[in-house]
Amino acid sequence: MNEYFNQVAAIVWKDFITELKTRELFSSMFIFALLVIIIFVFSVNLSIVGAREIGPGVLWVAFLFAGTIGLNRSFMLEKENGCLQGLLLAPLDRTALYFGKLVSNFVFLLIMEAFMLPLFMIFFNIDLIQHLLPLLYVILVGTLGFCAIGTLLSSLSVNLKTRDIMLPILLYPLMVPIVIGSVQMTGQVLSGEPLSDMMNWVSLTLCFDVIYIAVSIMTIDFVLEE
Amino acid sequence: MVFRMSEQTHPVSSDPVVKVRDIQKDFGYLRAVNGISFDLYKGEFLTIFGPNGAGKTTLIKILSGLTRPTSGSATVAGFDVLGGDVRLRKEIGVISHATCLYPDLTALENLLFYGKLYGLDDPEDTANQAIKEVGLQLRRHDRVRTFSRGMQQRLTIARATLHDPSVLFLDEPFTGLDLQATNVLKDHLHELHTGKRTLIMTTHDMSCGLEMCDRVAIQCKGRFAMLESIDSVDRENFENLYTETLER
Repeated sequence: MNEYFNQVAAIVWKDFITELKTRELFSSMFIFALLVIIIFVFSVNLSIVGAREIGPGVLWVAFLFAGTIGLNRSFMLEKENGCLQGLLLAPLDRTALYFGKLVSNFVFLLIMEAFMLPLFMIFFNIDLIQHLLPLLYVILVGTLGFCAIGTLLSSLSVNLKTRDIMLPILLYPLMVPIVIGSVQMTGQVLSGEPLSDMMNWVSLTLCFDVIYIAVSIMTIDFVLEE
Repeated sequence: MVFRMSEQTHPVSSDPVVKVRDIQKDFGYLRAVNGISFDLYKGEFLTIFGPNGAGKTTLIKILSGLTRPTSGSATVAGFDVLGGDVRLRKEIGVISHATCLYPDLTALENLLFYGKLYGLDDPEDTANQAIKEVGLQLRRHDRVRTFSRGMQQRLTIARATLHDPSVLFLDEPFTGLDLQATNVLKDHLHELHTGKRTLIMTTHDMSCGLEMCDRVAIQCKGRFAMLESIDSVDRENFENLYTETLER
């Protein structure tokens, strides 16, 4: 078991070292998310449509679109020089590879989201600080579900010629329950409601997190087989 | 098709390290590997020649557990290649034209990463030693992206042998190398060809392939058209034999 965690940690370490050197993933995700928010700010009249009504949706659209770039890049990194083959030849359980990539994607996305929240606050003129803790919980739960299924589909689409198109086509329909749950929870949190009043949405999102992780564990062997 | 097989000599051990029985692999209607069977014993070096599309890479992928065969069976170092056994992967090393190295990591970071994946006791020390052995110690803190093809291939040897595998698969290892890099690689392969290690290499390079092997095979249309001990092969006329075998 110790070896298993060491292998997961090695994959995370490798992804972080690579990202620290290149900064390709973070910069592309951050700029894309920022652009999405700016486009919405200028295309919607916030004096007519309330920022608290449209804000949660815009925030999650930005996270989702930017996250898709990150997921695409995540396994593309492994394709260069046939590194994925090197990983598959190494004596590690395929699920260790999945969890390593999941943790990397999850943390990268959370860092990007942490940088986006202050900008979102400024552009939409919403005070997030007083709702920060429940909001962080919602973001953690939503991002986990996104990364759980996204990492699996990213490993599936990496060998396809049309991977750039296939990943969003496969991912977005499966993201619907998590996006609905996350947007609803974010809206209610920004309205000042406590998490205990939205347990149905919390349960729904958590339930899909668990389902997507379980499905990934069960299928990753077949997905990664050549 | 005439199929010639030499009498197998195996002085070191009576149990084959690589045991292949009637392996087939289909990709849709295409049969890439068509009923290959052979045994390879501890310390032997088998070179497989064959034209492009003969199924050599597919055979290596099957033996290294990367691809499942459509039918047949194979064991490597006592482990079934079909089982996806993690212990099999600890026993094998693979060197191919794909280096499996991360271009933005340094040489040391790459080997450190693989050392951790293989669960080595002291990955840093082992990685440094392996880098020294392939003569890259002065470049160990440089990104792999800045390495020449020959240097990358030397680092690939270090990566593939980091965990001291008992079976080494080499799939076209000389591809894209200049003369100097080829000679360096040949020297390393000579060092790796010790009595304890079994090697299978596919190559188009006849001189390199014949120079190092104990047994030689010609693979054509997914089959072994010839499998002989190197002692029973006329090295001078091997090119003619190769052409004749393919034409049959």
